[in-house]
Amino acid sequence: MNPYVLAILIASLGMGTTITFASSHWLLAWMGLEINTLAIIPLMSKQHHPRAVEATTKYFLTQATAAAMILFASTTNAWVTGTWNIAQLSDPTAVALISIALALKMGLAPAHFWLPEVLQGLDLTTGLILSTWQKLAPFALIIQISPNMHPAILTALGLCSTLVGGWGGLNQTQLRKILAYSSIAHLGWMIIVLQFAPQLTLLTLATYIVMTSAAFLTLKASSSTKINTLATAWTKAPSLAALATLSLLSLGGLPPLTGFMPKWLILQELTKQSLPLTATIMALSALLSLYFYLRLCYAMALTIAPNVNNSSAPWQLLSTQSTLPLALTTVAALALLPATPAVLAMLT
Amino acid sequence: MTYLVSLFLFGLVVGLVAVASNPAPYFAALGLVVAAGVGCGVLIGHGGLFLSLVLFLIYLGGMLVVFAYSAALAAEPFPESWVDRSVIWYVLVYLIGVVAVAGLFWGGWYESSWVVVDGLKGFFVLRGDVSGVALMYSFGGGMLVVCAWVLLLTLFVVLELTRGLSRGALRAV
Repeated sequence: MNPYVLAILIASLGMGTTITFASSHWLLAWMGLEINTLAIIPLMSKQHHPRAVEATTKYFLTQATAAAMILFASTTNAWVTGTWNIAQLSDPTAVALISIALALKMGLAPAHFWLPEVLQGLDLTTGLILSTWQKLAPFALIIQISPNMHPAILTALGLCSTLVGGWGGLNQTQLRKILAYSSIAHLGWMIIVLQFAPQLTLLTLATYIVMTSAAFLTLKASSSTKINTLATAWTKAPSLAALATLSLLSLGGLPPLTGFMPKWLILQELTKQSLPLTATIMALSALLSLYFYLRLCYAMALTIAPNVNNSSAPWQLLSTQSTLPLALTTVAALALLPATPAVLAMLT
Repeated sequence: MTYLVSLFLFGLVVGLVAVASNPAPYFAALGLVVAAGVGCGVLIGHGGLFLSLVLFLIYLGGMLVVFAYSAALAAEPFPESWVDRSVIWYVLVYLIGVVAVAGLFWGGWYESSWVVVDGLKGFFVLRGDVSGVALMYSFGGGMLVVCAWVLLLTLFVVLELTRGLSRGALRAV
C-alpha cells in the first residue's frame, strides 16, 4: 500500500473515533462510526488474501447494517421527541434499536457471529486494531445512552455474551478465534455492569484493551496463529512463553494479575445491587473462558513437546520486531492489580 | 394532491418490495430507481422542492452508475424477475406484511398526516429547505469540510480496493 494512502487511512481511523467521542449529535456520531468503518476496510484487505477479503466483506456488511440501524433509530427519536442529542435518547423503540445496533457493532452475544469469522481472516496487527480501537467509538455511545437503556436488554446481552464467549471458545484450535471469543466474553462483563456503575465498564474496557494487546502482540512476536504453533513458541523466546502464560491467565482473571481487578469489582457491584444469581452466573461463565486460556497455557509453557535438536534453537536469532509495545502491555497486563484504588479513583 | 401523494407512497412501497424481494440485479436496481424517484415525489408533496431536486439529481445519478455497473457485472442469460418461483414468495410475503401493518395502523391515518414544510406558519420569506441549505453553508461549514474529507477518503478506499490485477482486493493473489 502506498504510504500516503496509509497515512490518510490511519488519520481517518483516528478522526472517526475522535468525532464520535466529541459529538453530542446523533448524526455526527454516526458519521464518526462510518468514517471508522470506511478507513479500516483497506487496512483489513491489505493482504489481498481471499480470507482477508472475505473477512473484510463480512465486516463491512455487519458494520453498515449496524450504522444504518443507528441512523434509523436516531431519526425515529428525532421525529418523536424532537431532539438529536445523544444523551437525550428517550423514545423506547429508538433506545431498543440502538442498543441492538451497538451490540451488533461491537459483537455482543446474540449478534456476535461475525466477530470470530472476521478476526480469523485478518493478520494479528489488524486484529488487534479491530478488537481494541474499533470498540472505543461504540462504547462512547453506549455509555452515554446507558441511563435510558432497558435493564433487561443490558442484562440479557451481558449474560448471553459471557456464556457464549466461554462456550464458543472451548472447541477452537485457532488462536484468533479464541481471542475473538475472549473479546465477546469480556464485552459481556462490561455490559452487565453498565447500568450499575459505568466507571467499572470503562475500567473493564481499559484493562481488556491492555490484556488483549499483550496477547495479540505475544502471538505476533512468536508468529503463531494455531495451538500447534504455540507448542513450539518457547523455542523462539523462552521468557516470553513463560510470561505469555501469565498474560493469558490475566485475561482469564486470576487473582494476583490485572485481569482479576475488573471481575472482582464487577462481582462486588453485582452483589451490592443484590443480584446474587447474576453474579454467580457471571463467575461461573468466567470458568468456561478460563478453560481455554488454560489450554493455551498448557500448550505454550506447561509442556514441552519432543522435537529434533536443531528446531529448538530459533531463540538465538535476533528478532526484527519491535518489542517495546509488547513489554509495556505485558507488564501492564500482569502487574496493575495493586494500583486498583488509583485506577478506580481516576475513572470515577 | 392527496391522490398524487397516495400514488407516490404506494409506488414507494412497491419499489421497496421490488428491491427487497431479491430478484436479479437488473430488476433490483430498477426497483431502487423507482423507489428513489417516487421518494422524491413524496418529498415534493411535503414541500421539500429543493431537497427533492438535489436528491433526484445526485441519488439517481449515483443509482444509474450502480445500475450500469451491476448490469455489466451480473449479466446473466435468464435473470430472475419478480414472477419467478424463487422471488414471488418474497414478493407475496412482503406485500402481505405491508397490508398487515397498514391494517394495524389504519386508524391513525388521515389526510393531514403529511404537513408541508413551514406549512403551519403564515407568511414566510425563506422556504425551509432553501434556508436549510444556507444554514449548512454558514453554521455547518466545519461539517462540510468533514464531509468533503469523507468523500476523499471514500475515493481512496475504493481505489485501494479495486486496484488493477493482483494489487487490488477484488482478485485473489
